[in-house]
Amino acid sequence: MQVTFKIWRQEGPNDKGTIRDYLVDGLSEDMSFLEALDHLNELLVLKNEKVIAYEYDCREGICGQCGVFINGRAHGPHDNITTCQLHMRSFNDGDTIVVEPWRTASFPVIKDLIVDRSAFDRIIEQGAYITAKTGTAPEANAILIPKEVSDNAMDAAACIGCGACVATCKNSSAALFTAAKINHLNRLPQGKAEEHKRVKEMTYQMEIEGFGSCTFTGACEVECPEGISITNIAELNARLTKANFLG
Amino acid sequence: MKLDSKIPEGKLEEKWRNYQIKSQLINPANKKKLNVIVVGSGLSGAGAAATLAELGYDVQCFCYQDSARRAHSVAAQGGINAAKNYQHDGDSVWRMFYDTLKGGDFRSREANTYRLAELSAPLIDHYVQQGVPFAREYGGVLVNRSFGGVQVQRTFYARGQTGQQLLLAAYSQLYKMIHAKKVTMFPRSEMLDLVVINGKAKGIIVRDLVTGELKRYAADAVVLATGGYSRVFRLSTLAIGCNGSAIWKAHKKGAYFAAPSFTQIHPTALPQSSEAQSKLTLMSESLRNDGRIWVPKKQEDTRKANDIPEEERDYYLERRYPSFGNLAPRDIASRAAKERIDAGHGVGRLKNAVYLDFKDAIAKFGLETIKDRYGNLFTMYKKITGIDAYKEPMQISPAAHFSMGGLWVDYELMTTIPGLYAVGECNFSDHGANRLGANSLLQASIDGYFVLPNTINNYLASALKEEHPTTDHPEFEKAEKEVKTSIDAILKINGTKTVDHFHRELGKVMWQECAMSRNKKGLEKAIEDIQILRDDFWNDVRVTGSGDELNTELEKALRLADFIELAILMCTDALERDESCGAHFREEFQTEDGEAVRKDEDYSYVSAWEYDNGNFKLHKEELEFEFVKPSVRSYK
Amino acid sequence: MALNPLFFRKTLVAGTGLFLCVFLIVHLSANCILLLPEDIAREMYNAYSTTLRESPLIKIVAYVLYLSIILHVLYALLITIRNRKAKPQQYVANNASENSSWASRNMGILGSLILIFIVIHLVNFWARIKLGFGEEVALDVNGNKDVYAVTYGLFQNIYYVLFYTIMSIPLAFHLFHGFKSGFKTLGFYHKKGLTILAKIALIYALIMGIGFGIIPFVVYFK
Repeated sequence: MQVTFKIWRQEGPNDKGTIRDYLVDGLSEDMSFLEALDHLNELLVLKNEKVIAYEYDCREGICGQCGVFINGRAHGPHDNITTCQLHMRSFNDGDTIVVEPWRTASFPVIKDLIVDRSAFDRIIEQGAYITAKTGTAPEANAILIPKEVSDNAMDAAACIGCGACVATCKNSSAALFTAAKINHLNRLPQGKAEEHKRVKEMTYQMEIEGFGSCTFTGACEVECPEGISITNIAELNARLTKANFLG
Repeated sequence: MKLDSKIPEGKLEEKWRNYQIKSQLINPANKKKLNVIVVGSGLSGAGAAATLAELGYDVQCFCYQDSARRAHSVAAQGGINAAKNYQHDGDSVWRMFYDTLKGGDFRSREANTYRLAELSAPLIDHYVQQGVPFAREYGGVLVNRSFGGVQVQRTFYARGQTGQQLLLAAYSQLYKMIHAKKVTMFPRSEMLDLVVINGKAKGIIVRDLVTGELKRYAADAVVLATGGYSRVFRLSTLAIGCNGSAIWKAHKKGAYFAAPSFTQIHPTALPQSSEAQSKLTLMSESLRNDGRIWVPKKQEDTRKANDIPEEERDYYLERRYPSFGNLAPRDIASRAAKERIDAGHGVGRLKNAVYLDFKDAIAKFGLETIKDRYGNLFTMYKKITGIDAYKEPMQISPAAHFSMGGLWVDYELMTTIPGLYAVGECNFSDHGANRLGANSLLQASIDGYFVLPNTINNYLASALKEEHPTTDHPEFEKAEKEVKTSIDAILKINGTKTVDHFHRELGKVMWQECAMSRNKKGLEKAIEDIQILRDDFWNDVRVTGSGDELNTELEKALRLADFIELAILMCTDALERDESCGAHFREEFQTEDGEAVRKDEDYSYVSAWEYDNGNFKLHKEELEFEFVKPSVRSYK
Repeated sequence: MALNPLFFRKTLVAGTGLFLCVFLIVHLSANCILLLPEDIAREMYNAYSTTLRESPLIKIVAYVLYLSIILHVLYALLITIRNRKAKPQQYVANNASENSSWASRNMGILGSLILIFIVIHLVNFWARIKLGFGEEVALDVNGNKDVYAVTYGLFQNIYYVLFYTIMSIPLAFHLFHGFKSGFKTLGFYHKKGLTILAKIALIYALIMGIGFGIIPFVVYFK
């Protein structure tokens, strides 16, 4: 099959970027979207051009490193998948495919389709952990955790940190990401000791990083590869209120 | 150099305790003065970095990804083993030790393997404390499931995302220590060389992947936690960025490389569907619990799976291994698949797959039960292939997966270069010639959290007395220059072929000759072919862009250059070992019905290879089995 | 640690918004008097509006109401400005309708329309009745200000009728999303509760939209 890629090219963080067109032939619908870009890059090398920079690692939807805006949607036309799980069979012969990097002030473009998501790491740094040193753990079954509690925690913990929620949010809110992590830990008994501190400090960092506010459009939960529910954000709000009064 | 594995004295169950009693301690005030570099941020790297920082060392941690959370430990699906005996099914440390040793076909050290089993229980405690949402019963206790090759239930899991949950716990703990200013994190940084001063590891040369700048970092000790190298086959279950460069550079600087040819081929991955394919996605081994594997009896059968009548299907695993059937260990299942595919019974468009059929399971347990057990895997299968596996059988195919081989390490996880440690998949320690399912997360974690933090003091105590290395030492100068030279050399070639072209070629050779089954002639040919490929690469590769910018093509080229050299060593190792053991199957050494023939009298040793100007010199670490008697692995 | 400003702003917008939702219920209920035949409606309506003007309790509520509107608008504006800053560059292609409703993405526009409406609405009524702008308001037989006549007079003008009716559409959309969103912002996260809430929000928005939308017409055709 043949498609026209319209891809954002930008040399560096301070350069002006632009959309460039690439007509690519010889693709098969069994190829993943990223393999189609790999193919395009090989063609560019043979034409003596610089390759397009984009991110990926595991290519099985779990590491969270890939992620671009494809035809106006985070991770492409389907709900709840990652870019690397998207295959060319989702497009038609002759299609035009617009590919852009995540657009968010807090994720500055590094090059072409690569953005800097270290803001997420800095949110994590503020308290997405249980303060206990290696070697201090009690017997695992000494902490009984009902199945529902553990399952609920797991639902939130599934976040892969790809940033699609922020990218698709018209406000660039990182509320789903932050809420997922906080709820994962705060739902568990192990996380209780520092629950209020965790909520306050992580949300405060979210503010400092310049993310916008959640206005519950619901776009994030549709684009989230793990389908993490937006209810998590409501729960985060409840936790924050509680923390402000009690913590 | 004589290889000293430093196994402590005493009974098997007392060795680790004896070691700890005798190892040196460093007082907290002095620990602050010592810095340790950790390369890699997966389970072993992040675990080691966080724990060393908690102990008071000054730690620098490097990873090539954009965040520590991407490390490929994240992708492990199935679970993590531990000898907790929560199921009351007769499990024990000893049994787990024995299963692991036997699973590895008796090609690993007793003491190491025992320690792995011994520390597995406290590791589960640790992860639970760190907030890992393991699967639980309604009453709140932890659940276990069984996994390939063992008869007890000792695998702990968090849905199909166990690796992710463990990694995120390690990543969180790492960031806790970053917040405490005890660890400095360097993401998007790739180690390109090791710096050895007076025979000791004292630092690394790193390329900043954003700016292209080469940077020097000095340390009192260097820990490599860079994972496996199965991307040497190009098509593997590994992440695209996984590479062998760090350990290869260390090898070239003097670290011995052990059992490089021991690489595990996983039986249940999705088959290659096009030449452009970059990766093979793994489908959890747990599918083999209910799925039946078959191929058409007729060669080159072009009928659709559902049109082939029952009597014309060959359930070859059930036929060959009646007692284990579809649950035969990975190496055996993979080899059997390859045998059928090579014999012309392969299915799928490229005739490179076998069927994994749930028809009978659905008929027996009902669609809902199967959905409940494997729903997420069927969804994933559909996302990738577009096929509904509830209606027709899945197509699966073997894929390169785990590398048991790696840098040779002693009981302390130190390589043959003093001050250089290797933890996790990048070392050769506990798995022997084949790794059991759900032991990979375990070994990575144990190395990082429990072993290294207890053994590194022994070396660092002496480092205290030495002068702290600085980056203006001539050895740093030299190493950086070498790196710069090779980058410039690659950029200057401006040939006619892409990096991926060479990687595909390398992969083809390696997959054909050095994967599931090997033979002398093929390996000799492979070595020649790869040498030709190496020359062709250095004459005809084209990398566009420069070294002073973010250049993903250059990154790939540098990694491939090392893979090519590593591939030669892998073939050399496979050629040297005139026996079949675990994942290493030499066609010359098999029984009449195609089972492996192990030769303990000649090959009960760990091959440790020394790099010598492009040649490899073999050193043997004899394996002594003091406590168990190696037996023949039979799954018939 | 200081109170999280982002959180504070959102809570304020949600809190004031939900208060305004309650006010609208009262407002619409009272306005339903206008749907009655004129001979009953006029006296009732005038008596009601006099009570509103003279009750000290209602006076306090009125101030809270004014304050709520001001804070709601002000903080929504602050949030919007910040949100805009958080996404300085827009996508070349954006297919947002695939993952979210139009109303949820355009609360600012909807709110601005409603704000314009409120200003005109206040000029039409509040300014005339309370501040005495324009023609003096007559008294009815009971000596109450004849607010009914003011309303009736206004809605003889088809343009006003159309304006009021059309403006009830953005109101309904704004309320539909705002009602749900407000609860979530204030921390209501019960899964089942939220599905029920979504239904209530729909019914509420429909009643408000249709209610406020038909009153001018009914009055016009009286």
